[in-house]
Amino acid sequence: MVKIAVYPPNSLILADLLERKGHTPLVLQKQIRQKIKDPEIDSPPMNITEDDPIQGLKYAAIEVPSGVRGRMAIIGPLIDEAEAAIVVDGAPYGFGCIGCARTNELSIFLLRNKGIPVLELDYPTNQDETYVMVNKINDFVDSLEETVKEEE
Amino acid sequence: MSQNLTMSPELGKEDWDPDVITRMIFIGPGAHVSEQEIVTEFHMLGLPLTIKNTCYGSMISGKSEDVYKAIEEIRKLDPNHIFTKERGFAPGDPRRCRGHRFGPREGFHQMEKEYRILGFVANALEERKDVEIEEKKPVSVDEFEKIMNECLDKEE
Repeated sequence: MVKIAVYPPNSLILADLLERKGHTPLVLQKQIRQKIKDPEIDSPPMNITEDDPIQGLKYAAIEVPSGVRGRMAIIGPLIDEAEAAIVVDGAPYGFGCIGCARTNELSIFLLRNKGIPVLELDYPTNQDETYVMVNKINDFVDSLEETVKEEE
Repeated sequence: MSQNLTMSPELGKEDWDPDVITRMIFIGPGAHVSEQEIVTEFHMLGLPLTIKNTCYGSMISGKSEDVYKAIEEIRKLDPNHIFTKERGFAPGDPRRCRGHRFGPREGFHQMEKEYRILGFVANALEERKDVEIEEKKPVSVDEFEKIMNECLDKEE
């Protein structure tokens, strides 16, 4: 079982395809749930604590806007945990849940630089492109399984 | 819109339990089961779950062990058309539920976008098909010039 980061981190299709193969998709909802169940936060996830931008410093410099750092405090642990990643490029405007183009860029940059296997895909717009996307994801996941078996 | 921003709901014991998770179950286009069938099947499993019938499928909440067991069973109804996804908030949470606030639920737009290609994904899962896609290239300058001159000649 491999922990795979997906981008956008709330994607239904990516997470579902990985779960079908028995892997763990690292999705944002799990992080959000942790925030919701934290009794110290009054009205999550709007009221993040002052610790969040500080935690974000691990991923972004102090000059970076606090919005990016606050978001990175939630997404960053997912990137740290990732053993592989699937990134969807060229999605239409508004696709994904981050709501911040700079955070998107930074997260994808961190995933690419982490030295883990990364599959980059184009957002499909028709049936043929979707076939290609699903096949590529399945092949990528199978190749990860083979790598894990070899390591064992 | 202040209702959307300043909510501090009174949550039950289950809402604070870190082991309680929520999953959304989507029925893709062309599925052989209906939303109601899925909900009935969940009830028939007899697991201690909170089940909500929704327009896209259903939502279940409960201990993670029960939820994963239920999902495994429900997928058997139509493996290629039933999709599932995590959800941070519990069903009917006043901070997200549209019954208590204005505007579409956060996350709805992403769901709407993905639903458009969900049918294609289901087809791809049903049967693997290797397709080659022609890469789109920009029109070369020479060709563009040729077309432009043809158009200008026609106008004259």
